[in-house]
Amino acid sequence: MDPKEVVEHLVALKVMRLTKPALISPKIVTCDSKDLPGNILNNYLKDDATSVTQMETLAAGQFLLLPQSFGNIYLGETFSCYVCVHNETNQPVQSVSIKADLQTNSQRIPLSTQQSHSPTMLDVDETLSDVIHHEVKDLGTHILVCEVTYMSNYSTLASFRKFFKFEVMKPLDVKTKFYNAESDDVYLEAQVQNITSGPITLEQVSLESSQQFSVKSLNEIVDGLSVFGDITLLQPQESCQYLYCLTPKENIAKEIKLLSAAKNIGKFDIVWRSNLGEKGRLQTSQLQRMTTEYGDVRLTYEMLPSKATVDEPFDFKCKIVNASERTLNLILKLRSLPDSSMLWCGISNRKLGPLEPGKSVYVNLTALPINTGLHNITGLSLVDLFLKRTYDYDYLASIYVC
Amino acid sequence: MDNKPSLSQYFGDTEVPPASQFFDEIGTSPSDMIQSVYLGGDSGGSQGSAANLFPQSMTTSFSQLSSAQEVTFSNALPTVSGSTAIPTKNLPDPSTFFDTIGPEPTLGPPKSGMTNPNILTDAMDGLSIKNQPVDKEADRRRDAWIPNEEAKKTLMKAQSSPKGSFFPEREVLTMPGLVLEEELADALQEVAVKYLGVSSAGARGVVRAEHVSRDEAGLRELLRTGYFRAAINLTAVLISAAGQGVGRMHRQTKHTSRTLQLWLTRFALMLRVRLHEPLLKEAEPFGDFGKPDMFYQFYPDTYENRTGSLVPFSLRLLVAELPGHVGKAEEAVDRLYAMIDVIQQMLSNLREGKTEDGTGIITSEQDRAESIRLWTGRETRVLHSIVNCAISLKDYRLAGKILTNLQTQATTPGQKRAISSALCRLWLLAGHVRAARAQLDIAREARHHICPTPDVREYVDLGLIDISNGKYQDAYNNFVKAADQEPTNIMVANNIAVCLLYMGRLKEAIAVLQKAINSDPERGLNESLLINLCTLYELESSKTNDKKLHLLRMLCRHRSDTVPDVLECLKLS
Repeated sequence: MDPKEVVEHLVALKVMRLTKPALISPKIVTCDSKDLPGNILNNYLKDDATSVTQMETLAAGQFLLLPQSFGNIYLGETFSCYVCVHNETNQPVQSVSIKADLQTNSQRIPLSTQQSHSPTMLDVDETLSDVIHHEVKDLGTHILVCEVTYMSNYSTLASFRKFFKFEVMKPLDVKTKFYNAESDDVYLEAQVQNITSGPITLEQVSLESSQQFSVKSLNEIVDGLSVFGDITLLQPQESCQYLYCLTPKENIAKEIKLLSAAKNIGKFDIVWRSNLGEKGRLQTSQLQRMTTEYGDVRLTYEMLPSKATVDEPFDFKCKIVNASERTLNLILKLRSLPDSSMLWCGISNRKLGPLEPGKSVYVNLTALPINTGLHNITGLSLVDLFLKRTYDYDYLASIYVC
Repeated sequence: MDNKPSLSQYFGDTEVPPASQFFDEIGTSPSDMIQSVYLGGDSGGSQGSAANLFPQSMTTSFSQLSSAQEVTFSNALPTVSGSTAIPTKNLPDPSTFFDTIGPEPTLGPPKSGMTNPNILTDAMDGLSIKNQPVDKEADRRRDAWIPNEEAKKTLMKAQSSPKGSFFPEREVLTMPGLVLEEELADALQEVAVKYLGVSSAGARGVVRAEHVSRDEAGLRELLRTGYFRAAINLTAVLISAAGQGVGRMHRQTKHTSRTLQLWLTRFALMLRVRLHEPLLKEAEPFGDFGKPDMFYQFYPDTYENRTGSLVPFSLRLLVAELPGHVGKAEEAVDRLYAMIDVIQQMLSNLREGKTEDGTGIITSEQDRAESIRLWTGRETRVLHSIVNCAISLKDYRLAGKILTNLQTQATTPGQKRAISSALCRLWLLAGHVRAARAQLDIAREARHHICPTPDVREYVDLGLIDISNGKYQDAYNNFVKAADQEPTNIMVANNIAVCLLYMGRLKEAIAVLQKAINSDPERGLNESLLINLCTLYELESSKTNDKKLHLLRMLCRHRSDTVPDVLECLKLS
């Protein structure tokens, strides 16, 4: 339509972004046959090429409408466009070729296919076209640079370029939280938020664990059914929360050093789809957990009952791991604190003997609850004889007494 | 297509289309339409008798009208033109009803001149088909509506007051008036004159309101021939004559089912040609049609014991949907759910053996069954409207929920299939390809009960799923299979063309669309198809004007004034 362009060049370049087409329906206006317009308007509706036979009053049509605007584009989606060069003259144009590049903030990516890149003769009213696809892997400004070269009337190569600028936006926001459990399992909570402008369906959200962990998804109920029901449809700004349990591989779980060094959890692989299946795929970078600093000694309880009866002693085990580089000589102290509802049974100030680095020892303990309620197990300390340092363990576990 | 004869047929040629072509649209009972349009059932059947209601000779008068008569709408009083032989002879001249209403009409006892209220009631009701005997049950069923609590109080008063002593407050009255003052021009004609020149545009037959009788029959004639803007102008004339014209808003007026039918026609047309702003303003005084003067019980002297609303169901629905057309779909959803609430109340009354509004007892089992069928159908229609609003809001969860409910209630394989197929596309819109696929399987299962091999709908749905997976070649193959079955199907041709573009075959895409238009201009010159074709023209070349003007010429030849925005769909600058 631009007359200047026609004057200047023998060929014209047009570019159209190919987002998924839309499904269109007619304007639905109906009347009862006894109304004044009778069935006239109903018949217009029935005869409309965009209405669906026998479902005329539902706006879920089958008629495809080409995209009418550039729309938004998000990281992980595929940018597709139609590049078309047309001979605008009334004689053949020689040696026409298209070169399309995508310039991002960091790199320049060649996009054109071989076919359109090699010079061709364009007859009158003929077109040379190319459909290009590129999976968008950068955020921010992108410029599509299309260069058309052809043989001018003076048998010299002429060329012109057109630039199409667009912004690539972030589609999803992934927030993660880690919980390091006593059992050395790591629980990962991930909120995936839709920050695009339209609804999306999360087709696949999976956590690929690192070498050090094996992963179990906790987002399915018995038959592999998603806890979110049939549809993981997210409206703009909505999020879905996923939960995973990561268990350290056996070789790592044994070695307390390796365990505390195992920071890489894994990465998320997310596939979503929007309008008519427009697909996007993102992988997060390696997720890092905050590991617990165990210090020199690590103490955990095992086989602790969750419930105990008042005035009846209960037994459990206590595991002590030497997380330091030297051999430890420890003393286990049991003190029944004045306001405690638990009395220790057994020997306090017990010597545990030398404990090699990385090695562990189990101690059997018995306590007597004297009050009902939920109570912390308190009053347990370890004394490092070499450094004369005391470690208190007052809030490691609680028990319900009834 | 047959019932949209081309202009040249009407106004150029001497050949007159058979009367059946004109009148086969008119069904005999409202439930016919519910079946055939809404639910896709196949009851139908009674069309023939309707066509016979009209004398065969009536169509000829049309072509003989002189276009030289210029009548301005503002001062002309409507009269029934002698040249129309529509069965309006049974309808009294509208002007005799309404000229009695002065500039400040008062609602009092009926004028003594109208001695026979039954004839009057009869004449004003059931505008389409007059030859049928009065069916009180059918009237009750069709008009049934439950007044809100506020309206009930006023209606009680109206019913219990001695004759002539009931003077309602202004607040309980509905006081509409026209807002759109100017006469609408034929939009296609205007564009044609601008782009093709007077001589080319003149080749097109132009019909205006003065060429038809100035009554409902004339209105239907304009509708049938597709002169929507001229029809809107005629509704303005008729509504003005009924005392609800420009400047009458907020003033007392007399409502009849006839005035409400005129408003329905006007609003439906304004919606079709997208005159949203004036439409919203004109619909505003009606509110939700909840004022007591919208009920027959408000006029005990005129309608005796008749109950229900003067408001046609289609008008109620149309006005409830209105906000959805101007970007306020949430508001439309609220209004539509309010309608569902009343309808469900009525259905529960019916199931308890009462009349729809719960005030009487239904004795005939057939009456009850018929009414339940009608109102269940209407409920479905309203649910469809809610789904449509939800789709426009991209609230696919709500749309999916309603459709899934309807799916479980479907009684025939045909219904089940139609809904599953719609659900398939709904999930595609939402990007949920797996669910779409599952729905397609359900639809296919239901299809097996109807026919053994896939048909157009199934192939097209399959193709759409391929598109969502980015497999355009597969989609193309499926659409071609659909085209093998229905070579003239415009939608299928269009979808083939869209696929071809994504496959890098622009020229072929254009050829397919052009062929579709040429083989069936009536349907092919569809707004959306034109947008697609002009998009392709613009992608192909900078020189698109000639091609677009060619389309404009075809539009002038084959279509009347039905495309809402010709400039927009041809992308003419």
